[in-house]
Order: sequence, then C-alpha cells, then structure tokens
Amino acid sequence: MTFNPLEQRGIPLDRQLRSWRELNVPPIDPDRCDPYTRCRIITMNGIEVEAIMFSHQLARNTVDPEVKRQLARTRYIEAQQQKVVNWLLPGVSSVLETTIAYEQVAVDLTGWVARMEPDPYLKQAYEFGVLEDFDHLYRYANLYEMIEHRKAESIVDNLTEVMPGRPTRFHHRDPVDNVRDPYDKDTTNPLSKLHALTIMSAEQQTMNFYMNVGPQYMEPIARQLYQEIGLIEEEHVTHYESLVDPGETWWEQLVNHEYNECYLYYSFMEQESDPKVKAIWELHLNMELEHLHIACDLMRRHDGREPQEVLAPELPNVLTFEPNKQYLRHLLDTQMDLTTLGAGYVREAHERFEKMQEQIHGGEEPPSDRVMAEHDEMFGREYRVQSEGEHPDPAMREK
Amino acid sequence: MSELHTPQAGDDHAPDLDVVGLLMRQHGDIRNLFDEVEQSKGDERRDAFHRLVRLLAVHETAEEEVVHPFARRAFEGGEQVVEDRLAEERAAKETLSALDDLDTDDPEFLPKLRALRTDVQEHARAEERYEFTHIRRSTDVTNLATMAKAVKAAEAMAPTRPHPGVESAAANVALGPVAALMDRTKDAVRKAMKNG
Ligand SMILES: [Fe+2]
Ligand SMILES: [Fe+2]
Ligand SMILES: [Fe+2]
Ligand SMILES: [Fe+2]
Ligand SMILES: [Fe+2]
Ligand SMILES: [Fe+2]
Repeated sequence: MTFNPLEQRGIPLDRQLRSWRELNVPPIDPDRCDPYTRCRIITMNGIEVEAIMFSHQLARNTVDPEVKRQLARTRYIEAQQQKVVNWLLPGVSSVLETTIAYEQVAVDLTGWVARMEPDPYLKQAYEFGVLEDFDHLYRYANLYEMIEHRKAESIVDNLTEVMPGRPTRFHHRDPVDNVRDPYDKDTTNPLSKLHALTIMSAEQQTMNFYMNVGPQYMEPIARQLYQEIGLIEEEHVTHYESLVDPGETWWEQLVNHEYNECYLYYSFMEQESDPKVKAIWELHLNMELEHLHIACDLMRRHDGREPQEVLAPELPNVLTFEPNKQYLRHLLDTQMDLTTLGAGYVREAHERFEKMQEQIHGGEEPPSDRVMAEHDEMFGREYRVQSEGEHPDPAMREK
Repeated sequence: MSELHTPQAGDDHAPDLDVVGLLMRQHGDIRNLFDEVEQSKGDERRDAFHRLVRLLAVHETAEEEVVHPFARRAFEGGEQVVEDRLAEERAAKETLSALDDLDTDDPEFLPKLRALRTDVQEHARAEERYEFTHIRRSTDVTNLATMAKAVKAAEAMAPTRPHPGVESAAANVALGPVAALMDRTKDAVRKAMKNG
C-alpha cells in the first residue's frame, strides 16, 4: 500500500462548500443496488455523525475563540458530507428496511473488523458483539415479513445469513458489565484505534436511529422491539467506546477521527461498484485529507507533538464489506453462551446478570421473543436464510 | 432467494382487523410478484405477470372503492391527498396496459416493467405515509375492521400463486379480462361494505 494520507493534500477547505444543487444527490435504487453499497452509505453516515458530534464536544471544551472558529469551519463541511452521504438512501425505503440494512452493517462490518483485529482482547470484544447484532437481524427480519410481507433477503441478498445468534433476551446485562478495558494508546497497533473508532461510530448511529424512529411504528410489537433493541445498542456503544484509551488528548482524538475518515473513504472508493457513489467517496476523501492536515496542525500547536507518533506509518489494508458467513458460523458454534463479567467474559449466568435479567423481563417474555411467537401465528414457521446449511448450534435449529 | 414462500395478504393467519395493515402487506405482495416476474422467463414469467396484473387491478380497485372515499371525507386536505393518489394510479394503469400489449419475452418488456415497478412503489409509500396514517388516526377499530373485511372480499378475486403440480394458469385465464375482473371486484367490495 503506497497511500499515505499524511503526505497528500486534498481540496482546500475554502473550496469544499457545496451548493443546494451539489447537495441534491440522486438516491440509490433499493431494489437493484449492491447491498454493500447501502452498507457503505450507512457506515459513512455513522462516521460523519460522529465527526460532527465529536467536533461539537471539542468546541464546548475549547476556550480559544479562534480555534472554535476553525473547528466550526471544518464541522460545517462534515455536516454537508453527512447530508450527501445519508441522502443517498432512498425515500421509498421503509424504516424497517433501513433497520435491516443497519444490522447487516453491524454484522459484516464487525465481522471483518474481528477477523482483522490484531489484539486478542479487542478481537474478543468484536466477536462477542457481532453475535448480538446477528440476532437482531433475525428478529427484525421476522418483523419485516409480518408487516410488509417481504423477505429480508430482498435487502441483504444472500450475502449475510439470517438465523438466531445469541438470543436477544440475554443481551440485557448489568450496565457495569458493559464497560471494557481500553487499549493502550502508546503500544497498540494503529489499526486497532481505527477499528474501535469505526465500530463505536456505527453502533452509536444505530442507537440514535432506533431511539428516534422506533415510535414511528403503530404496531405494538414493532414499537416494543425497537425499544428493546434500542437499549441493547446503548450497551453496545458503552462496550465499544470503552475500548478507546481515554488518555488520548482531544487533539490526538481529532487527528484519529480525521485519519479514520480518510481510511474509510479510501477503502470504500477502492471497492465501490456504483460509479456515482464511488465519485462521492473520492470527493470526500479529498476533503478529508485537508481536514486531517488541519487537525495535525492543531495537534502540533496544542500538544507539541508530531501526529506521526500516534498514526500508522501508512494506510492499513483496506476495510472491506464482504460475506463473513463461515467466520460467523464458527462463532455461533463456539461463543453463543458467553456473557460479560466485569471487563471479561464468562460462560455461566452470574448473579449480577441474573438479577438484571429478572428485573428487566419482569417474569414476561421480552418483545424479541414475542415477535417470533407472533410471526409463527401468522405464518406457521420462522423466517431464516441459512444458505450454508443448518444452524451450527443444534439447540438453535428450527423446530 | 430462499424457498420460503410468503402467502398473500388474506392467506396468512393475521387477524386482519386493520385495513391499513392489510393493504401494507398487499403492497409487499405486489413487490414480491414484481420480483417473480423479473426473475423468471418464458411461461413462468407470463404466468407471474398475469398474476401481477390481476393483483394490481384488485388492489387498486379495492382502494378506490374502500379507502380513498373514506380518506376524502376523513381528514383536512384528504381530498387533495386522494386526488394525488388517483393521478398516480391512473399513470400506473397506462403503463400497465402498454406492458400488457407486449410479450413478456420482448426486449422492451423488462425496462418498462422496472419503470412501472418504481412508480408503483413510490405510489404505495405515498399512500402509506400521506393517506393511511391519517386513516388510522381518523377512525375507530370497528371501521378499520369493516374496511378490512371489504378489502378481503376484493382479495378473494385475485388469483393466488399456483400450487406445485396444479395447473392454475388456465384457471387464471378463465378469470377473463382485467376490466371484467375490476367490475367483479367492485361488486364484491360493495356487497361486503353493505353487510359490514
Ligand atoms: Fe467527514
Ligand atoms: Fe443491533
Ligand atoms: Fe449493535
Ligand atoms: Fe473530516
Ligand atoms: Fe393505490
Ligand atoms: Fe396501495
């Protein structure tokens, strides 16, 4: 890989502003697009939302008005990028369709990251989490068939299997057990920082999305399922954000954010099948190179350190959307019954876990189980896509 | 695509006490049939297209007889919302009859079908968002159920998927031209509304 974002100059910031005409991008066709194009859009939307919110937090903690103005300038461009990226999603898609695509992102993005993650503790965190979003995909897919009579495979298109993961009812843990140990910023592989930031941003966007769109549904089971999974996405944000070393300075974090945007736009530009969308990834990469440059200057000025000290010497291998079926099957076979205890993982339901379970379920079936019962009443079967054979866990095979 | 078959609205075991839920599921059925037409060839495609044309006819007729008249009266601005939907339905019918004149294996067929699909899908979402939400808000459960019953009566007129080994194409042809099907659908709906 020869691409080093630190050595490239992009579009000067004062030439990055776009007019209404340029912001008005044509959306993708939901019935004929590459499902991974939609996944890349959803991922980059989450990344841009994090860029905006992080910059707001930084501004609120910045005293120097000149620096505040500098942050505002870049942030406005991030906001325009977010508009362009998220507006690639078509108006004809229903909330549930977009939801299913969000869970496909969670499965195949986290799946890839888990496979590539060099640090075993971090890898375990991704492997643990991916089995939960995998189960969410299955629950929402069943809801989708109930409400719209459509199959989730018309969205995920056989790239991702749809079947039970770790059952959603077990995702409700005592909040203290969601906090992980962070990597060490000085010794960790730079790729690990990018992974953590990426997955944290994607989960945060998923949490925001569910907490806002859930009440748009009128069907009681749909409203309740969004509440339940929305709460789990909050746990996931806690889980992944705690992997990031809190010892990184604000400026270091800003540099990491901009670097990660370069990394992801570059990765997606390399693999994009839709030429119009590819042109956007390329344009945004050229904008991010300049954001990175500005962030690096701020870090030098405020921390008195060279950004090269905290970044990878060159861009890591591109992050790729591709099927992770065999890897997921391996995890389904080996990690279904894990839960967390403190910052680690155990196989037995411990006291704190059981207490939380008792309190939140209140002796009743959670929405994630009731959706399956209601689906069964309607169709006399479940909805699954098991393209690679029966479920690896015999207990999870359809009865 | 998996071999799982999603039954059409009315053939699943939903209680169908809500006309909006029922019509939304039928919107999905229509999309499923578009998929079937696009993914098949020859006789299979001809048969799937035949079923699509009929389901569309029955669906739109039921809406025109049941929900559009209700929406007109039910809420502020309903008149205009319904006019917009009717205009979309008329446009779709024109594309549909142009398609009906083509052989399903004609090279022009698929591009035209896809254009129709886009129009039908935009129309369906517009109904769900700008008409159906108001309907649910403007009426009570009894009325939602009465309207559901009328739509179900219409559905009974639409040919369903042929069961394996059963020659249903002939049965579907026996249903006659689309115009006659629409008339029968109207009669069925009106009868159900009266009895409801
Ligand atoms: Fe950005
Ligand atoms: Fe999830
Ligand atoms: Fe998640
Ligand atoms: Fe940026
Ligand atoms: Fe209609
Ligand atoms: Fe409709």
